[in-house]
Amino acid sequence: MDLLLLLLPIAAPLLAALGYALAGWRRPTAHLGTAAAAVILGGAIALAVRVTRDAPLDALGGWLHADALSAFLLLVVGAVATLACAASPGYLAAEHAHGGGSGRRYGVLVQFFLAAMCLGALAGNLGVAWIAIEATTIVTAFLVGFGHTRAAVEAAWKYTVVCSVGIALALLGIVVLYDAARHAGLSEATALNPRVLTAHAGALDPAVTRMATAFMILGFGAKAGLAPLHAWLPDAHSQAPAPVSALMSGVLLAVAFVQILRVKQIADAALGPAFARTLLLITGLATLAVAALLLLAQRDYKRMLAYSSMEHMGLIAVAAAIGTRLALAALLLHIAGHGLAKTVAFTASGHLLRAEHTTRIDQVRALAIRRPALGGVLAAAILALLGLPPFSLFASELGIARAGFAAHLGVPVTAAFLLALLAFAALARHTAGMLLGDEDPGASGGATQPVAAARLGPAAWGPLVTGLVTVAALGVTAWPVTTLLGLAAQGGR
Amino acid sequence: MSNRAELLDLAAGLFLLCAVAILWRRDVRAQTAWLSGQGIALAAIAAILGAQDARPDLYGVAAGVALLRAALLPTLVRRAIAARAEDRESAPLINVGASLLAAVALVLLAYTVAQPLVRLEDTPAARALPVGLSVVLIGLLILVTRRKALSQIVGFLLLDNGITAVAFLAAAGVPLLVEFGVSFDLLLAVLVLRVLTARMRNLFGGSDLDEMRELRD
Amino acid sequence: MSAPVLVSLAQVLLVLLGAPLLVGAMRRLRARMEGRTGGGVLQPWRDLLKLLRKAPLHPQGTGAAFRFAPLLGVACSGVAAAAIPLLSTRTGLGAGADLIAVVALLTLATAALALAGLDTATAFGGMGASREMTITALAEPAVLTAVCALAAKVGSTNLPAIVAATLSHGARPASPANLLAAVALAVVVLAETGRLPVDNPSTHLELTMVHEAMVLEYSGPDLAMVELGAAMRLTVLLGLWSALFAPWGITTTADPARLLLGLAAFAGKTLLLGCLIAAGEVFMAKVRLFRVPELLAGSFLLAVLAVSASFFLA
Repeated sequence: MDLLLLLLPIAAPLLAALGYALAGWRRPTAHLGTAAAAVILGGAIALAVRVTRDAPLDALGGWLHADALSAFLLLVVGAVATLACAASPGYLAAEHAHGGGSGRRYGVLVQFFLAAMCLGALAGNLGVAWIAIEATTIVTAFLVGFGHTRAAVEAAWKYTVVCSVGIALALLGIVVLYDAARHAGLSEATALNPRVLTAHAGALDPAVTRMATAFMILGFGAKAGLAPLHAWLPDAHSQAPAPVSALMSGVLLAVAFVQILRVKQIADAALGPAFARTLLLITGLATLAVAALLLLAQRDYKRMLAYSSMEHMGLIAVAAAIGTRLALAALLLHIAGHGLAKTVAFTASGHLLRAEHTTRIDQVRALAIRRPALGGVLAAAILALLGLPPFSLFASELGIARAGFAAHLGVPVTAAFLLALLAFAALARHTAGMLLGDEDPGASGGATQPVAAARLGPAAWGPLVTGLVTVAALGVTAWPVTTLLGLAAQGGR
Repeated sequence: MSNRAELLDLAAGLFLLCAVAILWRRDVRAQTAWLSGQGIALAAIAAILGAQDARPDLYGVAAGVALLRAALLPTLVRRAIAARAEDRESAPLINVGASLLAAVALVLLAYTVAQPLVRLEDTPAARALPVGLSVVLIGLLILVTRRKALSQIVGFLLLDNGITAVAFLAAAGVPLLVEFGVSFDLLLAVLVLRVLTARMRNLFGGSDLDEMRELRD
Repeated sequence: MSAPVLVSLAQVLLVLLGAPLLVGAMRRLRARMEGRTGGGVLQPWRDLLKLLRKAPLHPQGTGAAFRFAPLLGVACSGVAAAAIPLLSTRTGLGAGADLIAVVALLTLATAALALAGLDTATAFGGMGASREMTITALAEPAVLTAVCALAAKVGSTNLPAIVAATLSHGARPASPANLLAAVALAVVVLAETGRLPVDNPSTHLELTMVHEAMVLEYSGPDLAMVELGAAMRLTVLLGLWSALFAPWGITTTADPARLLLGLAAFAGKTLLLGCLIAAGEVFMAKVRLFRVPELLAGSFLLAVLAVSASFFLA
């Protein structure tokens, strides 16, 4: 039963991938992926219930493991995946109209991507988690390069190289940690198990563990979009198909970041909290600074959303550095809120790109008048990303700030929020320009082309509205997941 | 000093020598030849450790390593070289002489960084650990400074060989399942990069990464 | 005279007589591999004797540097031949047979020849001298670092001590430090003796020649001395390399029978190395001058690796 519960979220997308491979992308199979994603969500809910009621689950001799943290992460994966997969048929239909890439390949790769992320969330072993995360790089490389344009190939290349190198450094860290664990007397099978490692942290050699922690934070940080190995993120997010951008930004970054949390747990137990805290503060603040500065001068709205992801990941890293219970609960809530809001924002930007044929901010003007509905959804999603109430990101940012001051980390937290404020201003200015700005008189020649190129049906609006409502609801009350959040934050302690 | 330790040192020395040769050569074809040599040295390290610890499973690992890293991966890279003269590293970001001098600094850095690992266990294998770390750093150097797509793949493979060497020398390899997964992922990553190189040739007419200028802020 | 002094004298004589033969053998092999008949092995000796019979001729305005450089070249190689344990580790120079001293002697010969090139005040002389000094300046760090790697294991830079220590451990030559140092020194030996891929000994093409440009103004007995010095330098460096990395056959005594064995081994090893170089040159092109630093930087890197390996691995 436990095994089934743990295997279900991984197996469902694999089966869906098989389905796409055999049947191709047709009208009846179009929502196969959505079904698989819904199964992930259902499985995640079942797991969450099991974990809150009883103890964490183990299967396959500890290779798979579900505690409150992984159950929560899986919930986010399931929710975002359901929204993104539901938006995929609309996206692909438009691509087909323009003679774009193959639906079969898209379906197979997205489902593999989901399976790899679920494996990453449920891995009970750092080695398995590593394999899962590297697998996401491999399957998404072709999704990033889906467009077959020069820019898409360039983005795919950078993405694969930077992420593979980053994750290779994480592997080096894992190898070094394994060495330390073996010398601490752990057996081959348990030496990469984070729980066992945390329990035996006292026996780990401090100098070696420090080295391993640094490598792993740097390496998994690359995949989580943290500086200094962040260069792939804006390119990949801006070139990938909109639903894939949503998945990457919404959950892939989070899945990678949760590995950092697990590493931090081990490091804290072995070295005391100061070491990992310093590393995370440095990388988090650096990420925030890079994101805020590049947001200011941004001219492309998909890249703008990508840098906003970096900004949020930086904030999350700072929250992880604080590391108190409150901070971790806020961090997890932030991951969920950011994932959902970003999914809506990217999906809406995909619709916008199709309607306006440009990703330039200064060529998209007066959306509030010309496309009130789409403009409204995009605006709402960006308001959520800005961290305004009633959306949940307001609550989580507030929580991070409070936790930071409570932990006497006032200076770095203030710096982080000042940078976030800068990003806020940039994001708000660009979005306001898109929504309300006057149409550029010079570009009026381009506006002669038919404006209402694409009519969006209810199938397209559904995911957008559901996502926004969920983020807002989470902001009002985190009731359904309160217990889970508390447990997960405790586990992260 | 025992005979096995001598052999291990020798294999580690050859392993490092191949990395230096790869950094030295500009011709990707020659680089792949050295990459094969490095794969053999890596397999030898695994086999020697297997003989030392009387662990027959390491012989299997050694055979797998030899197959993957000495035969399969270099062949994949070699196949990707079109019959054109473009696959010479004509203008690396910093010239080869300077990168060789940079490698000197990196090797010394690796020896310093690896000290805690060596102190953990004073065996011949652990003492050879900095070699693996040096190769990791040399691989990173190639990745950062070379401007041809294929050179970057070579750099990535070098990086990975180095990590594998660290894994063998530190604790006679990570668990077999993880090892297998890592190798599989590596193979796929190289395949992906190869496909991307081919696409790049179609779209850009070459594999020079300086051509990539569309995406920047 | 004591036995070690005799050994040293024998070595000098051996190098003096044998060096032109080695050059002759290498030229012959290369000619054969390129499909030419080539001169005989004795041809360099014939050339030398012919040149020695000619009247000495000095360009106008040259001074002592031009006049003494050829003799200094031969003398430096001769002293080096006396110091390096080519046949036996019991050479007559004792503590003077230092690796650093030998390297310095050989550099002295290069510097003297470069000064001579400058002394002629011709365009080629100056160009050759500047190129030669560039190469030497780049090669020197690699040599000294490699020396350091070899000396670190023994705890002494004394050549006979290093060779004797290598001889007393059976498998030592195969250690990574030795291996890396061997490759590093091999590159340097090629550079210092003006062989391909750094310099082409058989070209007089303006754009590419290094050593030949420097000695372009020499003729008669002076040229003979220059050629002899170059040949001895090659022999000495090959002998040094083989003594350090393949010391088989070198005796630790001054016993005549063993010395004969050592002589045979020395001749065999040097001839083999020379033939390897000659055969390699058939398949190799000279690298462009601005690529030479790359080659020597690589050699330096290997030397540093050798040092670190000798400290950390052994």
